[in-house]
Amino acid sequence: MKKIAKDQLALLWEKIDQNYQLFLPIAKEKAVNFSTWKEGAEVDLDALRTVNSPKNIIFPQTETYLTFKKEGKKLGLEVVSRDEEYVVFGVRPCDVASFKLLDNVFLGEPVDKFYEENRQKGLIISQACLNPEETCFCNAFAINPESAPVGADVATWDLGDLLLWEAQSEKGKAFTEALSDLLEDVSEDDRKKLDEVKAGIKDKLEDLPLVHVAPEKIEGGLKEIFASEVWDELYQRCLGCGMCTYVCPTCHCYDLKDYNGNGCGERFRCWDSCMFSDFTMMAHGNPRTTQKERVRQRFMHKLVYYPNNYESYACVGCGRCTERCPVRLDIVKVIKKLGGERNEL
Amino acid sequence: MSVIANNAAVKNAQAFEPLIVAFCCNWCSYAGADLAGTSRLNYPANIKIIRVPCSCRVNANFVLRAFQRGADGVIIAGCHPGDCHYMTGNYYTRRRFSLLKNLLAYVGIEEARFKVDWISASEGNKFADVMNGVLEKVHKLGPNRKLRDSRWRR
Amino acid sequence: MEKIKEEIRQIAREALTGKKVDIILAWEKGPLWYDSYPAFFTKEEEVDSLTWDSFCINNLSKYLLEETMADKKVGVFVKGCDALAFNQMMQDNRIRRDNVVVYGLPCPGMIDPDKVRAKRLNRGLTEVKQSGDELIFVTKDGEITVPAHEVYYDKCLYCHYPNPVVYDQLIGEKVAAETALDRSERFSQVEALEALSAEERFAYWDSQFSKCMRCFACRNVCPACSCERCTFDDDDLDILGKAREDSEDQFFHLIRAYHVVGRCIDCGECSRVCPQDIPLEKLNRKLIKDINALYGEYQAGLDPSTKAPLVTYQLEDADSFTAGEKGGKGT
Repeated sequence: MKKIAKDQLALLWEKIDQNYQLFLPIAKEKAVNFSTWKEGAEVDLDALRTVNSPKNIIFPQTETYLTFKKEGKKLGLEVVSRDEEYVVFGVRPCDVASFKLLDNVFLGEPVDKFYEENRQKGLIISQACLNPEETCFCNAFAINPESAPVGADVATWDLGDLLLWEAQSEKGKAFTEALSDLLEDVSEDDRKKLDEVKAGIKDKLEDLPLVHVAPEKIEGGLKEIFASEVWDELYQRCLGCGMCTYVCPTCHCYDLKDYNGNGCGERFRCWDSCMFSDFTMMAHGNPRTTQKERVRQRFMHKLVYYPNNYESYACVGCGRCTERCPVRLDIVKVIKKLGGERNEL
Repeated sequence: MSVIANNAAVKNAQAFEPLIVAFCCNWCSYAGADLAGTSRLNYPANIKIIRVPCSCRVNANFVLRAFQRGADGVIIAGCHPGDCHYMTGNYYTRRRFSLLKNLLAYVGIEEARFKVDWISASEGNKFADVMNGVLEKVHKLGPNRKLRDSRWRR
Repeated sequence: MEKIKEEIRQIAREALTGKKVDIILAWEKGPLWYDSYPAFFTKEEEVDSLTWDSFCINNLSKYLLEETMADKKVGVFVKGCDALAFNQMMQDNRIRRDNVVVYGLPCPGMIDPDKVRAKRLNRGLTEVKQSGDELIFVTKDGEITVPAHEVYYDKCLYCHYPNPVVYDQLIGEKVAAETALDRSERFSQVEALEALSAEERFAYWDSQFSKCMRCFACRNVCPACSCERCTFDDDDLDILGKAREDSEDQFFHLIRAYHVVGRCIDCGECSRVCPQDIPLEKLNRKLIKDINALYGEYQAGLDPSTKAPLVTYQLEDADSFTAGEKGGKGT
């Protein structure tokens, strides 16, 4: 395990930036988002969660597949690919877990080549959560916020004036090696301090207001839940905006579109939202014509369909929808309404 | 060096061919354009006229879409207030585009790029003047990049 | 507010048992301190979970759209700003007045959870109580008293209509309509932007618009955005694509603001819900300011019998594009 003083981090950013595109949680006015680092950027490692999830980086909201251009009677096609290797620093354990959920979808057969390339070119550095907030409920999905999450190439812990650093994968080890002049070995004291902080996290978690969320307590099979009466009531206040799906780290539905740019153009993939009326629009129209069906689709996908396919819920308890939904129709309320709550810890 | 640089600048300025979209009311400004033509008044070919039944047919979307797809300037020309073929259309135009003009200026679009004016069927001269005026100003401003779709090719 | 909450519940119960209405639209409390949200009550026994506190920010008028409610008789609770919205939707012919019973709630102001978090008052917070001009934050470690205006939404500090302008029944006492901040101050941010150069203004708005992820929350929460089908949703029209592209973000925001010209009640819901904190009120207020300057002071939603500024005209109207020519007073 290595460490670096927090006031040395700017040097570290600079060094990483020389060889990689570096994404960090950067504050722009009130909103903190993962964006590319520039000297003088307002890096905010304390922000527990960014507005957009880092899904934006591995699965961008808009991703051009190919460009085309008409030249006389010929049509020129060019496949676009990601040019640079990149590093994402400060990914929270819940968001790291969400990458695995996206991998299940895009790296299963048939493999999505664009996504695969994005994943291969990236290096993920996690940052443990030592101060979870009231909207957090990652423990409901067996995620340990204080841990070094599986899927991160390097894991870090923020101990106030120190950042502890542990390489986890081969890629992470090589990366750490290349930065060895900035990182020093940890002392026994540092390790102890980390253990203490980790031990303290359990109490904090039990103190959180959403600690009783337990999706595994939801009873009934696909058909019963689908036909449940709770949807009749839940959907009513939904405004039909797509905020929950766009800030969600695990939502991954997309649309393919062409842009006609006057004799040239491009084919791109862009996020879509099951909350929108034109979602999965087909020649015959839309299979889900009411907001009730759309709301049901979103939560059935997260809590039933996805688990049926991949044996894991498509939610990581990051709390983005809990915090952001304009009418507070978040997944916590849905899980509870379906009976997913435990009485004792 | 400076001479060469200057020449290059002149060359670039010449290479810039502004594209102006003019929405013209069928009953007055479009006829005004016709009169300008038959009177052999000069107005440049960079102006692409789109004929509309009334200036109030123009939607704010049209203006933004023109800028999105390559226009360096947009003009809306209608009948003088009081002369609308449909009695009241241009009164609405006046309110709507007074606000849109201010809004576009507010988000940083140079004011000279968007012009609304009243041109009657008998004002061939005014038509040519307005068109030349806008073109001249836009020429000075150079190509418009604001609001332009980066994927659009002219 | 505690006392009024009981009164609201009583009214809701009576309205439902007396079959005066089919549905009561009010708020309910979730598991978190700030978590008050819109709720639909159809049975008397459900009313026990009805709430009224300083977090009932959601405007319930938006749910009264004709097609949403079909022919049901609805009882709705409205705050000051919600009442303006109600009137505006009436003016737009989107609500059937006969089908609605409006219960007016004078509103002391609503708490901005972000301001509470910024003051770090949220740790272990269980409840917030109101006492006059002060708010008491009840936490696990004790109580903290804070002047209300420090944590109210900015929009509440400018609010001129805390008392509903339309109601069938008013609940509780009217509150003072004096604002914590001068009402004309709401244009000061617009003026600050106007004072910049075109390049600076473009840079400012470009950086704001480019944060947009087009979730459409601003549109969907807006009481003036009540079209049966939004032009942006019509796939066949191809008005707006789905790509993240600066020009499309700009297009969306300019047209959104422009479509609510003269109908925007300045309730600030669009900026409240924006996940990226785009200051949409600065667009809306620019348009309100210009309407006031060009066509006379106008407050949308105040009187549904008047015509909105863009669906009417005066022969001698001013404009912003000719200089003293026929038909225009010039600016």
